[in-house]
Amino acid sequence: MQRDRAVRPTAARTAALVRHNVMLMLREPGPMASRLILPLAFLLLLHPLYEQAQPGSRGIVQAVVATIVTFSLLAMSIAGGSFLTERIWHTWQRLRSSAATPAELLIGKLTPVLAVLGLQQVAVIAFAAALLGLPVAGLPLLAVAVAAWTLALAGMGAALGLLARSFSSLSASYDIGGMILSSLGGALVPLTALPEWVRQVAPISPGYWAVSALESALRGAAGRTFLASAVLLAFAAGAGLAAAIRASRTWGRSASL
Amino acid sequence: MFRSAWGVQFSGARASKARAAAVPARGDSDAVLVAAGLVKRYDGIAALAGFDLTVQAGEIAGLVGHNGAGKTTFVEVVTGLVRADAGRVLVAGEDALHNSRRARRLIGVAPQEQALYLSATVRDNMRLFGALAGLSTRALHDAIEDVAAELLLTDALEQRAGLLSGGQRRRAQAATAMIGAPRLLLLDEPTAGADPETRAALLAAVRRRAAAGAAIVYTTHYLPELTDLGATLAVARGGKVIARGTQDSLIGGLPSELRLRFDQRAVPSSLPTVMTGRAEAVDGEVRILSADPPGDLAAIFACGCAPVSVDVRRPGIDELYRAIAAEARDAA
Repeated sequence: MQRDRAVRPTAARTAALVRHNVMLMLREPGPMASRLILPLAFLLLLHPLYEQAQPGSRGIVQAVVATIVTFSLLAMSIAGGSFLTERIWHTWQRLRSSAATPAELLIGKLTPVLAVLGLQQVAVIAFAAALLGLPVAGLPLLAVAVAAWTLALAGMGAALGLLARSFSSLSASYDIGGMILSSLGGALVPLTALPEWVRQVAPISPGYWAVSALESALRGAAGRTFLASAVLLAFAAGAGLAAAIRASRTWGRSASL
Repeated sequence: MFRSAWGVQFSGARASKARAAAVPARGDSDAVLVAAGLVKRYDGIAALAGFDLTVQAGEIAGLVGHNGAGKTTFVEVVTGLVRADAGRVLVAGEDALHNSRRARRLIGVAPQEQALYLSATVRDNMRLFGALAGLSTRALHDAIEDVAAELLLTDALEQRAGLLSGGQRRRAQAATAMIGAPRLLLLDEPTAGADPETRAALLAAVRRRAAAGAAIVYTTHYLPELTDLGATLAVARGGKVIARGTQDSLIGGLPSELRLRFDQRAVPSSLPTVMTGRAEAVDGEVRILSADPPGDLAAIFACGCAPVSVDVRRPGIDELYRAIAAEARDAA
């Protein structure tokens, strides 16, 4: 048997993990495909409603932002599901006993997830810009907003995937939590049309900041985009920290999975 | 009676002497695994309570013990999954408790629970863990083919792990542990529920790893496997290793059990008097503890007792536990 005992650099291990996770994702493409296709169908069917309700370009902007925020919150299941699957298969513990560091494991796991979450948003924006007349004031600003929201989604999804005790509880948290966060954030219906108490509590929802970042970026409002993106990055950091702490601990044989 | 009989046969100074006969003496420089004084508590309950184990290069150490003895916790501590409250672990000189990452590069582990990517093929599983073990692309390709052939997995390489039989999964799991040719191999009940073909393939692969110089910790409930492997024994109980040595030194001194069936169900009155004190009738058969089965059988036949069936049971791990427990009581 040939051996190569030379210690591989961290890049090689990370690349192996990324490659492996991409392969896993492609082996079960259903969830990814539905998360990419459904938002486009939703937008195509419902954008006339939004455009009728709001004058000018505000209608299509609201439709695009609503679609992105709502469906990207639901797409957190891609991140959470990939972590929960590792736990159920006991492969996460197996990975932790390998030479890979926790950072390598998280990067390897999250890189393809980030790609899909980002692709989902880019697909909606490109679709709307190409076919539905969405105005885009500044691509760099939009890239900042999309990147910040993608990181927040990945962090929150990973944390949920590492904390959930079963797929049913994970699914419930995405379905219920996603709808609440997107509604509370003013994604589906503008905040101005919602009750006062909703407007008061809206900033606690990451959906609110996602709506703010994306709307501001589409309008070209740099200050508001950066502020909202910074808050989203704070959500990402907090969720990522929770995920990292949970990921570094063992579940033990008594874990009820 | 049973217990007291064991105590007579294996007690006091003899037992201590046997247990003191540790693994074949070699220099400390040969030790790949040195674990000393490991303590781990969960909610005040000690899973490890001063666990010591040293395994030399080329040695297969059979770690045996009832459920809850601390075997799996020990494996989890060595691999860095669980942080010990006290003690130390060296893997080829690397401090596994304080620099777990460096130590983990030297370890291959097959945990007790199945840990395979079920939607990925066997090759994919092996490729990932081989890459994480540091194999280059070319070496990885060759290693996958070699280990798969060794574990009778060549035809299953392109199958998804979720579609494998139970035995194939056991072998695939072991393959992911062995593929990096680790210096320390931790196999936690690798043959549990396995078919004979799987067991034979795994044992052969383990022997080859040891012959190549790897140190192997092999936990199991099947003592015959350890005999096949020529493994030394480490008996765990209550979170510590209570007996350590070669199989001969630990079990060789224990009596076998003769199980005889006679036409009548009671102990025959003509049984040699020297044996009557050691005999008892259980479930229609007569059981006699014997340090010399051939001699005792000859004596039984010579006195005119004619059993209709004879079964000689060699002592196993249960008998070893009983002997150690009896010795502990005697010492107390």
